[in-house]
Amino acid sequence: MARPSPSASSTLAIPESPLAGPFPVGEYSSALRSKLRSFARVQIVGELVNLRPSRTRVYFELRDASGALPCAAWRDDWERILARGGEAPCEGMQVVVAGGCDYYAGSATSSPGFSFSVSDLRIAGAGDLLARIDRLRKQLDAEGLCEPQKLLARPLVPRSIGVITGEQGKARDDVLAALGRRGWAGRIVWGFAPVQDRHAAPAIVRALGDLAGFAQVDVVIVARGGGSLADLLCFCDETLCRTVALLGVPVIASVGHHTDRTLLDDVAAVSCSTPTHAAEAAVGIDCGRARGDLAEAARRLRDHSGRAMRARAELPRAATRLRENSRRAVLTRARLLATLSRAPSAHLERQRTRLHQQLREIRAGSHRRIDGEHAVTTRRALVLERKADASLLDCRERRPRELAQLALALAAHDPQRTLERGYALIESPDGTALTSAAAAREAERLRVRFADGVVPAQVDQR
Amino acid sequence: MSEPEQQTPQPPLTYEAASARVEEIIRRLDSGEASLNETLALVKEGKGLIELCASELGAVGNALEELRLDELVSRLESEAAG
Repeated sequence: MARPSPSASSTLAIPESPLAGPFPVGEYSSALRSKLRSFARVQIVGELVNLRPSRTRVYFELRDASGALPCAAWRDDWERILARGGEAPCEGMQVVVAGGCDYYAGSATSSPGFSFSVSDLRIAGAGDLLARIDRLRKQLDAEGLCEPQKLLARPLVPRSIGVITGEQGKARDDVLAALGRRGWAGRIVWGFAPVQDRHAAPAIVRALGDLAGFAQVDVVIVARGGGSLADLLCFCDETLCRTVALLGVPVIASVGHHTDRTLLDDVAAVSCSTPTHAAEAAVGIDCGRARGDLAEAARRLRDHSGRAMRARAELPRAATRLRENSRRAVLTRARLLATLSRAPSAHLERQRTRLHQQLREIRAGSHRRIDGEHAVTTRRALVLERKADASLLDCRERRPRELAQLALALAAHDPQRTLERGYALIESPDGTALTSAAAAREAERLRVRFADGVVPAQVDQR
Repeated sequence: MSEPEQQTPQPPLTYEAASARVEEIIRRLDSGEASLNETLALVKEGKGLIELCASELGAVGNALEELRLDELVSRLESEAAG
């Protein structure tokens, strides 16, 4: 390093000091910059964290387990690196940077600063940081530490809420506003702790223990407003996660990171994306509305109670009415039963009366019919009698006359009368009348009947 | 002689359990199916539960109380030491 020349103010030097100087700071810082810039330009590998682009430069850090280096790249160089295509460098990546040491000497109005000036960058692979977190996540899960918090009972309306957050952060206001909207006005115990540097995890662990032990809170919110993964590394701390997992009070995590899930999110009872959501998860209901609902429930209960009391007062009267009604009901039934029991004999009686009536009608009818028939028969007998008398008269007077006339007519046709007049009748031997010559010749033997007797005869065949 | 079995104490009723039971009671009463005796018993139980819920809501309804954990811890520690 080129030694700066002592200034004119060498009389200001610390007496007895063996060291050279004093040198003006601007002169010394310029010399320091020259010295640092003379260091060999090299490539360095490490994990990219805390990436902060600004208008002219892009700032970030390279870290590994044993150390870290602040880096800065000019905007032009960074754009050139991005223009090469491929994956854009981002938090947690393992990268190789090329460049050299640089020092901004500062001025009367600006702070100095050391950085490794990066002229090129290449992505070497996913960072160890993420792999380490992933290993720890699997280990906690294998030990069953993601479950116990989720099994804890969380009161719907906690009386006392512990909140661990940064004292100056926006998360505090968000939690208060959300609790106010819930109509919740209980007790909040603020456990203020850093929430993003290396002191954060032990401080949060301590606050958790104190909240659970001293403040007797019903639920604890761990909140921050968000940040890069590097900022959230404290929420992946193994001790913190084991403490939360075994805590007897439910913890609601709200560390505000949407893309990367911290280990605290895994072990907590509930994981929320914002402090507002965490507050809403802590107080499960709108207390204002619940008060209204409760008043309504009380009113309805009072109504039912009033009705029930009135009903109880009505009981004796109702019992009397019931007794009367039951007596009336018994009487009605008894009457009905008696009527029913009489019904068959009444029916029989009606049928008998009807049969008697029919019998009487049949008898009267038959008498009428017999009398009628008798009169008709008598009339007919009288007619017959008269007719018989008339016919008897006929037999006695008219018939003999007619008979004599018939006898006369018959006698006129009698062959005997013809024989008596001198005629004879030729007969065959057997008495059959022969009315032709051929019949007489054929008969050979004849009988000739006269009025006074029969004379045999024989046919002369010559 | 064997010792009589010790009764396990009932856990304190939570707000959500109490409010759910109140809703159940009101549903039962609204149904009109409860007898007079049951109604009177339900009303009595409901009143007790509403008082419990009201006290829970009352505890978080008066005024927000904000405490600082560090102050609380140091006060308690000094009290313990004193």
